[in-house]
Amino acid sequence: MIQQLIALVVVLAILARLGWQFYKEQIPKSQFILWIVFWFIAGLSVIFIKSIDQLANHLGFSSSGIQLLLYLAILIILYFIFSFRLKIARLEKDITTLTRHLALTSEVKKSKDVD
Amino acid sequence: MKVVCVIPAYNEAKTLPKVLENLKDKVDEIIIVDDCSTDQTLEVIKNQVVTTLFHIVNRGQGAALKTGTIYALEQGADIIVHFDADGQFRAEDIATVIKPIQEGRAEIVFGSRFIDNTTKMPWFKEKIIMPLGRLVNKLLFNIRTTDPQSGFRAFSRQAAWQIDWQQDAMAHCSEILLAATESGLPMVEVPITVLYKNFGQRFGGGLKILRDLFIAKMNN
Repeated sequence: MIQQLIALVVVLAILARLGWQFYKEQIPKSQFILWIVFWFIAGLSVIFIKSIDQLANHLGFSSSGIQLLLYLAILIILYFIFSFRLKIARLEKDITTLTRHLALTSEVKKSKDVD
Repeated sequence: MKVVCVIPAYNEAKTLPKVLENLKDKVDEIIIVDDCSTDQTLEVIKNQVVTTLFHIVNRGQGAALKTGTIYALEQGADIIVHFDADGQFRAEDIATVIKPIQEGRAEIVFGSRFIDNTTKMPWFKEKIIMPLGRLVNKLLFNIRTTDPQSGFRAFSRQAAWQIDWQQDAMAHCSEILLAATESGLPMVEVPITVLYKNFGQRFGGGLKILRDLFIAKMNN
């Protein structure tokens, strides 16, 4: 029970911080919604941990619902890592385009023929 | 036919002067793409008879080659040769590489280290890495060239317009091979000799290539 209360306080603190960051326009709306949904689900999972225990048993996991949540959390983290990777790759492509444009239009380029 | 040689260079101050000296009478124009070198590369080519393009951010060999190729096309190149700045390729092989295009037998030519046995390659690379590279190329991309990572290549003007690659790092070799295979343009391999001064691409490098190609696929 105490563990649940502590977890809920942490989730609420994170939600409050997210709200503050959005209010101060430090994060875009899309990210705000994404993380609000994520932490809201996390909060609900803490409140309904008994039901998740039952779900874990029903799905055939030999241990508690907390472990099922951990597996899900790892999957979500892996998804985020992968999507960040894709985003970085797109940014890298943009940097290359800019770099190439500058190289092809720069006046420091000097041109002479070998012959 | 105007033959233009594109050389990507990143920290090649030690080897580049000799490479340029050897290339002098082999091509009509040399384009060096300095990929934001931190050594004296720009200084050593200052008085050379070459065109220098400069990347203000280091973007990798594939990106530098593409920049040079676009510029070569703008300058009216008929044949574009990709060449390395590290001194491992032989300038005299350029004649062999461009010959099929000059004779109208091919639009794309890849230099291969495996057609004759003149290249002395490190054992692990020759017996393990390269066969694995060939297998991956064959299974995943249906590429059947003898050299799975050929960096010494020549394009006709038409092929250079048609063949495109997005990979900035070393995966451009596989991407170009794939694009060439899929283009349906006449393509041949010719024997070249590579003078190994270092091991070059390692096994981990091969895995990075696969990773880069996978990420690019997911982004498309």
